[in-house]
Amino acid sequence: MKLRGLVFLALAMAVLTEFAESAQDPGEEFELRQAPTHWLATDNKGAGAGPVTQEKLSASGNAKTSWLHYYGDYRGYRHSPIDDITPETVGNLEFAWGMAAGTVGPFETSPIVYDGIMYVTTSYNRLIAVDAGSGEVIWRYDYHNPEDLRICCGPNNRGVAIGGDLVVMGTLDAKLLAFNRLTGALVWETVITKYQRGFSVTGAPLIANGRVFIGLGGGEYGVRGFFDAYDLATGELLWRHYTIPTDGEDGVETWAGESYKIGGSPTWNTGTYDPETETIFWATGNPGPDWNGDNREGDNLYSDSLLAVDPKTGELKWYFQFTPHDIWDYDGNTQIILLDVEVNGEMIKAVGHADRNGYYYLINRVSGAYILAEPYVAEVNWATIDDAGRPVVRPGAIPTGTYSDRVCPGHAGGMNAAYTGAYSPITGLYYVNSIESCEIIEKGMAIFIEGSTYLGGSFQSVDAEAGTSYGNLVAIDAASGKVKWRHQEVNGLLSGVVSTQGGVLFTGTVDGRFLGLDAATGEVAWEKRVGSIVRGQPIVYEHEGASYVAIATGGSNGVEYFTGGFSSLPDNTYLFVFRLNKQ
Amino acid sequence: MKLRNLRWSVLLAGTAILAACQVSSIVSQRSPADPYKEDPTAVARGGAIFKSVCSGYCHQLTPTTSDALFLFDCTWKHGDTDQEIFQIITTGVPNTRMVGFADNLPEGYQDTWRIVAWLRHNSLCDDP
Repeated sequence: MKLRGLVFLALAMAVLTEFAESAQDPGEEFELRQAPTHWLATDNKGAGAGPVTQEKLSASGNAKTSWLHYYGDYRGYRHSPIDDITPETVGNLEFAWGMAAGTVGPFETSPIVYDGIMYVTTSYNRLIAVDAGSGEVIWRYDYHNPEDLRICCGPNNRGVAIGGDLVVMGTLDAKLLAFNRLTGALVWETVITKYQRGFSVTGAPLIANGRVFIGLGGGEYGVRGFFDAYDLATGELLWRHYTIPTDGEDGVETWAGESYKIGGSPTWNTGTYDPETETIFWATGNPGPDWNGDNREGDNLYSDSLLAVDPKTGELKWYFQFTPHDIWDYDGNTQIILLDVEVNGEMIKAVGHADRNGYYYLINRVSGAYILAEPYVAEVNWATIDDAGRPVVRPGAIPTGTYSDRVCPGHAGGMNAAYTGAYSPITGLYYVNSIESCEIIEKGMAIFIEGSTYLGGSFQSVDAEAGTSYGNLVAIDAASGKVKWRHQEVNGLLSGVVSTQGGVLFTGTVDGRFLGLDAATGEVAWEKRVGSIVRGQPIVYEHEGASYVAIATGGSNGVEYFTGGFSSLPDNTYLFVFRLNKQ
Repeated sequence: MKLRNLRWSVLLAGTAILAACQVSSIVSQRSPADPYKEDPTAVARGGAIFKSVCSGYCHQLTPTTSDALFLFDCTWKHGDTDQEIFQIITTGVPNTRMVGFADNLPEGYQDTWRIVAWLRHNSLCDDP
């Protein structure tokens, strides 16, 4: 080859190499400006009613024009005083406005409404303040999470808490952020803990008396669970309550060896505050590893427990454990409701709780004494409950090296803390969505690696695979625990419930319907196709004289695999808001 | 060197290079996972680790629609060679729930290869 040819070849190779390198490195070619992630308010909407005082927070269950807590009020009822939405009028609901969440992953939020503004969180921690009557965006903040989150079950967020002039959101990387409710300005930011150890915040905070209470997930990562109280004004940590005792503390003997250090017991759902007994009630989740208890022999306190804690100090007043030595992942931190019930002719201040293990419990909320437990799931076979409230486990339900017998309920519940129930003081019924899907469990190896899943086994959703799983909206007599009625759906139900004074319940289905049911009978009085799986928490509020119902829809992460039925619907995440047409 | 000798030399050198490439190719087709695939005990341990750590809330054992991929069909989103699967287990996938395990499994990278071997062993794909 002549020299001229060689030179040409070399040049050609150099050009091709450069082209290839630039093609592999688009960053230099396509450097984009960062998208705006923080839009502040441009007008003065929402300034009329003044700050959200403690008085307003305490009376929120009686306020029609606001929805101030995740559960609507401190009692955990999710019951609206709005009385014009009745079984007879619910058919007059019409689509009012909607909003695309713009993210993937479950859209589980329970919006907060105050002074005409609705605060909506999406998956991946976007927080959007919108006009509650029109949906017009007032301000928004898109949090940038790191790329190595530890989230067992999706990038979920279930809402903010509001107090004073602040709205507070927890993040998937275990931070708390407080924003000015009117402008959207970030007021303070607090790192709760190192998320890389397996922690995340998916639940809504609780605010009472100038304190922000927040729990964290991590039960599938071998964390040592806790929940915290922070100063609402500054974000300063006030106290931390570990849900597993340490060396020298009562209860550490319920953990074999050093298993207490990585025993899980997370706090990822929202608790309740009882002004009458000046108590914070918080429920805890499963011990870890989920399906292998060999290394953690003992009751594993205070996993799967109801904790009564002094809100000023974080000190434990009493506890009640639902599932000692849990080896089924009966993550016991579902909703808590505070109610007064008559027991043997005496009025008792009680806590009602539909646990993921399939039983509804009544516990004395002053003493922690067990009152009763009744099954609310259609098929419960893992254990019976003795007179002291302790499970008597069926031997075949214990996971071994081979698959267990068919265990009911499956590990997702029963009820699951990813969604809410509702209690109506009118009917005395507690309405919870139940997953009717049993499974078989195989105990595996307990391998702990900090920041990685610590499960110790696996399961097969045999009912879901066989197509026999389904869902129920269950009406439980809150005083007796007896099931009054069930509304059955073809898939396990994963949405929250809200109740109205007018006698209507709202909830959503996995196959993309939003339902209004007669609270007395369970009859479906109204339904709308919303087009996607429903995993949000519905709320009801009044705005400028009209009644509204809001529901977050869409966003599946495959959880319906083990809760029953596949959702082949589009993964759209969209907030629907309906208005009652009075004509 | 005469032209004829030069041609023979080039031909021989080319043949040698081709042969070397062929040997190299055969050697490179030998995956680091292969010794584990051939050892039933290693495959079983890989399965036990997978089912204890990776299944449960993430990779299901039967086909499902989830953000955690089903790993027994013919689709590999992040590369289908043993080495690429090993790499994903080791380093993870940013912005997903897949966290990298580095060499933290009980017996380090050997256990990672055992998982790769078990995934291959249980593939439902005709040409895993």
